[in-house]
Amino acid sequence: MGEVGDPTTAATADPVTERALTALRAALPDAVVEAQLDGAHPYIGVRATHLRAVCRLLRDDPALQYECCHLISAVDWPEPAEGEARIDVVYHLVSYAIRPDASYRTRPGKNDPYLALKVAVPRACPEVPTVMDIWIGADWHERETWDLMGVRFTGRKELPRILLPEDWPGHPLRKDWVYPASYHGVPIIPPEGM
Amino acid sequence: MSAPLAPDLPDPTRGGEPGGVVAFHERQEYVGRDVRTEEMVFNMGPQHPATHGVLRVAIKTDGEYVRALQPHVGNIHRCAEKIGESVAFYQWIPYLDRMDYLSAMCNEHIGCMAIERLGEIEVPERAEYIRIIVAEVQRILSHLMAIGVYGLDLGAFTPFLHQFRERERGMDLLDHLAGGRLLYHYVRIGGVKRDVSQDWLDELDAFLGAVEQRLPEYNTLLLHNRIFQERTFNVGVIDRATAVAWGVTGPALRAAGVDFDCRRDAPYSIYDRFDFEVPSGASGLGGQVGDCFQRHWIRVREVEESIKIVRQAVAGLPEGPVLGRVPRGFKPPAGEVFIRGENPRGELSIYMVSVGKSEQAWRARCRGPSFSNIACITEVAEGLLIGDLVALIGSLDIVLGEVDR
Repeated sequence: MGEVGDPTTAATADPVTERALTALRAALPDAVVEAQLDGAHPYIGVRATHLRAVCRLLRDDPALQYECCHLISAVDWPEPAEGEARIDVVYHLVSYAIRPDASYRTRPGKNDPYLALKVAVPRACPEVPTVMDIWIGADWHERETWDLMGVRFTGRKELPRILLPEDWPGHPLRKDWVYPASYHGVPIIPPEGM
Repeated sequence: MSAPLAPDLPDPTRGGEPGGVVAFHERQEYVGRDVRTEEMVFNMGPQHPATHGVLRVAIKTDGEYVRALQPHVGNIHRCAEKIGESVAFYQWIPYLDRMDYLSAMCNEHIGCMAIERLGEIEVPERAEYIRIIVAEVQRILSHLMAIGVYGLDLGAFTPFLHQFRERERGMDLLDHLAGGRLLYHYVRIGGVKRDVSQDWLDELDAFLGAVEQRLPEYNTLLLHNRIFQERTFNVGVIDRATAVAWGVTGPALRAAGVDFDCRRDAPYSIYDRFDFEVPSGASGLGGQVGDCFQRHWIRVREVEESIKIVRQAVAGLPEGPVLGRVPRGFKPPAGEVFIRGENPRGELSIYMVSVGKSEQAWRARCRGPSFSNIACITEVAEGLLIGDLVALIGSLDIVLGEVDR
């Protein structure tokens, strides 16, 4: 885990993530749990309780202006190498107003000016506050994440499924999900390896 | 003589002023009288030709006007992400083809790049150039389809048939290279399947020439057509703020005036070596920035730019192998990667997590551009005429296979 000012990672640290991290640390010191600044996928880990404040800051800070929630994904970790079973909810944010200079385009490794946020929630009770009122585009991504991974987004009026039928059993992208024997009387034969 | 529609009212067919046409609801005998109105909810789709696939839109209408609407997707959900976790890395590539069947080459390209970055696999120079060529040919084909079918949505049948002549030629072209007309599985991890021959390059050149020559002809049929312009100017306007907040990408985002294209602003593969313009919405074309006309115009311009890119790539095509070394039973080290690339409809993003020592991805997340593009119609379509709703959905050029994945 690289930290700001760490001499081993300072040379390769992603300036986009670093700038957002500095702003977050200054305004919301309790929000950031961890940060990875180098490598192919730099990200900032934030607390679920602070997510909305973080997102509002990232959107409204005139020097950052992350005006678009590009993607929300979730990764299931039932048996992680360390710590308790968790689900990571990952937000990829994009700014069209504030862009790094042209030299960033030729940067080796990551040359795409997105910002990734990671929120780890306990697998037994995966709840994350909604960001739908901050970026309306998050609406369908949150519905999809609930539908397939079973992460509950709180603070929304409703959270219907989007891709699967309303009465589908469970959330199929969970690692411990098992195929139902049948659906409305139609037998289901799981494909090999699934 | 037919019976009057409302027996207690004077027959409208006989009540008009001689020589002048008076709108039905403005006729003297109707003004001031109570007419019962009611909002009605009905479904457009899932089997409606103008929804470009199996999309169901529940519309609350007030006469001919859309008061509110809700798209319902998921009808052809095929568990692309679940499959991505269950099969070996290389086996997922054909599923990406089938996700967006009109931009298979671009999807393969972006998918392979994600896996290559995860496994740190080198791609030979020649393969990179061939990938750009096929991806841009695919973009031309997809945009030709979008342009032609958009005419069909608005009631112009002829342009569709004209454009299919060139599209057919392009599909034959890719068929001769990859052995498939629509779905190719040509781009592989570490390169491409087959090398291109000089004959194929000649065929490619002839195809580009034909498209270039015919584009002005298509534009006289649609872009400069008065009826087409009247149907699309100022219709379905997606302004900058709306487009950005909803996560709209691709031609629809650029039509809204955001000058952003992944190929130029976050160059992947070898796009930074080519010289091309990124068209974005402009005033002065008639209509306004972000309307249906501008989205159509952006696609026409992008076809021209893609032709430029392909020509540069062919001119710079180096000699060498086309497929790098990929170990059998390829197991990338633990790590994660996020990649986005510009496919004809917008940004296709892939977020992959590998735990190492495994032939399968731990998580294979995929964001289809149409998914976010179609979501925004809930806001944009309010107040449109139903006929214009068809114009709006058509101008977004969605592929439902990729919305539902």
